[in-house]
Amino acid sequence: MTVLAASHLVVKRNGATLLHDVSLSFGDTGSVAVIGPNGAGKSTLLKVLAGLEKPTSGSVRLGDRDLATISNAARARTIGFLPQHFEPHWDLTVRQLLQLGAERATRLAADALDRIRAQFELGGLDGRRWSTLSGGERARVLLATVLVVDPPILLADEPAAALDIRHRLDVIQALSVRGRERLLVVVVHDLDLAFSAFERVVLLADGEIVADEPAARLIGDPRLDSAFGVRFERMRVDDGWLLRARLTPA
Amino acid sequence: MKVWLGLGGLLLAAIVVGSYVGQTFASPLDLWRALQGDPSMSSRLLIEWRLPRVLAAALVGALLGLGGTIYQGVFRNPLAEPYLLGSAGGAALGATVALLVPMALSQVLLLPVLAFAGAWGATLLVIGIARVAGAVDAAGLLLAGVAIAAILGALRSFLMLALSDDTVSLQVVMSWVLGGIQTPGWSGIVLLLAISAACLALSLLLASRLDVLGLGETMATAFGLNIPRFIMIAVLAGSVIVAAAVAFGGLVAFVGLAAPHIARWLVGPLHRPLLPASALIGAIIVTLADAISRAALPPAEIPLGLITAVAGGPFFIVLLARRLRA
Repeated sequence: MTVLAASHLVVKRNGATLLHDVSLSFGDTGSVAVIGPNGAGKSTLLKVLAGLEKPTSGSVRLGDRDLATISNAARARTIGFLPQHFEPHWDLTVRQLLQLGAERATRLAADALDRIRAQFELGGLDGRRWSTLSGGERARVLLATVLVVDPPILLADEPAAALDIRHRLDVIQALSVRGRERLLVVVVHDLDLAFSAFERVVLLADGEIVADEPAARLIGDPRLDSAFGVRFERMRVDDGWLLRARLTPA
Repeated sequence: MKVWLGLGGLLLAAIVVGSYVGQTFASPLDLWRALQGDPSMSSRLLIEWRLPRVLAAALVGALLGLGGTIYQGVFRNPLAEPYLLGSAGGAALGATVALLVPMALSQVLLLPVLAFAGAWGATLLVIGIARVAGAVDAAGLLLAGVAIAAILGALRSFLMLALSDDTVSLQVVMSWVLGGIQTPGWSGIVLLLAISAACLALSLLLASRLDVLGLGETMATAFGLNIPRFIMIAVLAGSVIVAAAVAFGGLVAFVGLAAPHIARWLVGPLHRPLLPASALIGAIIVTLADAISRAALPPAEIPLGLITAVAGGPFFIVLLARRLRA
C-alpha cells in the first residue's frame, strides 16, 4: 500500500531549480536510501516529503490525503523527521528532550518512554544536559526523541554523518531494523552503507531522479558512475559489493 | 519544591524590607500593627502609601520577568530583552503620546492602549529589520533593537520638548523615561494584580510551544509548530506584558534580562517552571531596587531605572562577553 507519494515536485529557490519534476512513492514498510552528489536536492526532497517546505509546484500525498491539507499536529505524529544538524537553543536534559518528543502524541503508551530508553540504551543519561553528551549519545538521544511517539514514517537526513564508524553502524542498524515494520527514508552519504543496509536506493542528481532501484541491482548500474562523475571499481565481498571511486580522466 | 519555597520566602522578605525603608523607617512590627488596623498616622501612611508602592514594585518586577522570558524564548536568545529590543521604548513613546497629546479619549484608557501599540509596533519593526538584513541572530536583533530604541527615544524627547507646557508636567513624563514605580491606590493594586495574573496565565499557555521553538526551526516545524504564526502570537502576548509593566513602572532596564537567567539556573530551561520562577525573581529584584531608590538619598528618590541599569548593565556585559567568546 502506498503511504507516501510525491508527484511532479518542482522546488525553486532564489531562481535556482532544486527539484525538477520529481515523482516517487513509498509503501508502508521498507528501507529506502536517497543518494546523490552534493547539491542534487536530497535534503530538499526530504524536507518537502516531510511537509517542512512547500514545493513550488507538485504535491505530496500522505495516505489518501494531500499533505498540505493535514494539520501540523497530525503530520508531526505521522512523520518523524531527523534533521542533519540539531542544536537546541537551550541546554535541555535528556529527560526534557524525550518529554518534548512525547508531547507530540495525543495518547502515549504508559511504558513508551521506558521502552525507548531501553531501545537506545539511554538508561544512565536521563539527567544529563545536551551540552555534556558525546556525539554518539546525541545521535541516540535525538533518534529516541523523534521515535518516542513511534511515527509510521521516519525521514532522516544523514543522521549518522558526523559519527565515528561504530556509532554510525549502530544508528544505521537501528534504523534499517525499523524498515521491516515501518517506512524509512534516509539520505545517506556513505554509498557502501546505502547499498548494504537499505533495500531500495533512489539516486538523485541535479534535482532529478536518475535511478530508483533495489539496492542489489543499482550497485552495478553505470548511471551511478555518471551521476557522481567518477568511475567506480566494484569489489566482491562476502555479502555484496564494495565501491571504490576513481577519477575519470578528463 | 525547595526552590519555590525559597523564592517565595525571598519575595516576602523583600516586601518586608521594602516596607521598612523610606523617609521614615518602619519595622516589621510597625507593619504588623498597621495591618491590624492601628489608627495612628504613621500606620495609615504605611498602609495607604508605602505598602501599595512596594506591592506595585513587586508586580511590575513580575511582569518584567515574564516579558523577558517570553522575549528570550521567542528569539531563542538569552540576550533578548524588551528594553534592549526597543519594545519598552515603544511602550514609553506610546505612554508619552497619551500623556502629552490632548485627545478626546480619557488618559486612563488611552495610556495602556498606546503603550501596548508602541511596544508591539517596535517589536515587529525590530523583527522585520533583522529579517530583511538576514540576521535573526543575537547580534542582528540587538543592533536592530538599539537603532529602534534610539529613534524612539529621540521621538519621545521631541514630543516632551514640543508639547509639554504648564498644564502637563514634564516631571510625570520623566518618571516614565527613567523608570519609577507609580504609587497606586489599593484599587490600582487590585487592577495590577489582576493584570499580572492574567499575564502569567497567558504566558503559561505559550510555555510548551516556547519549549518546542527552542529545539530550532527545523525540529520545531517537524514537531508540528507553525513558527511564523506562533511568533506573532507570542510577540503579541509579550507586548501586552511589556506595556503593562511600562504603564505601571516606566522604563526599567535589564530586569527582563537578568530574571530569566537566574531562573534558568534554578529551575532549568523548560518554560512551564521558568515563567513563574522568572516572575518571582523579577518581583524580588524590583522590590529591592525600589527600596534602594527610596532609601539611598532621602528625601529624594533615585529613579528605579537608574538603579537597575547600574546593577544590570555589568550583568549584561558579562553575559555578552561569555557569549561572544563561546
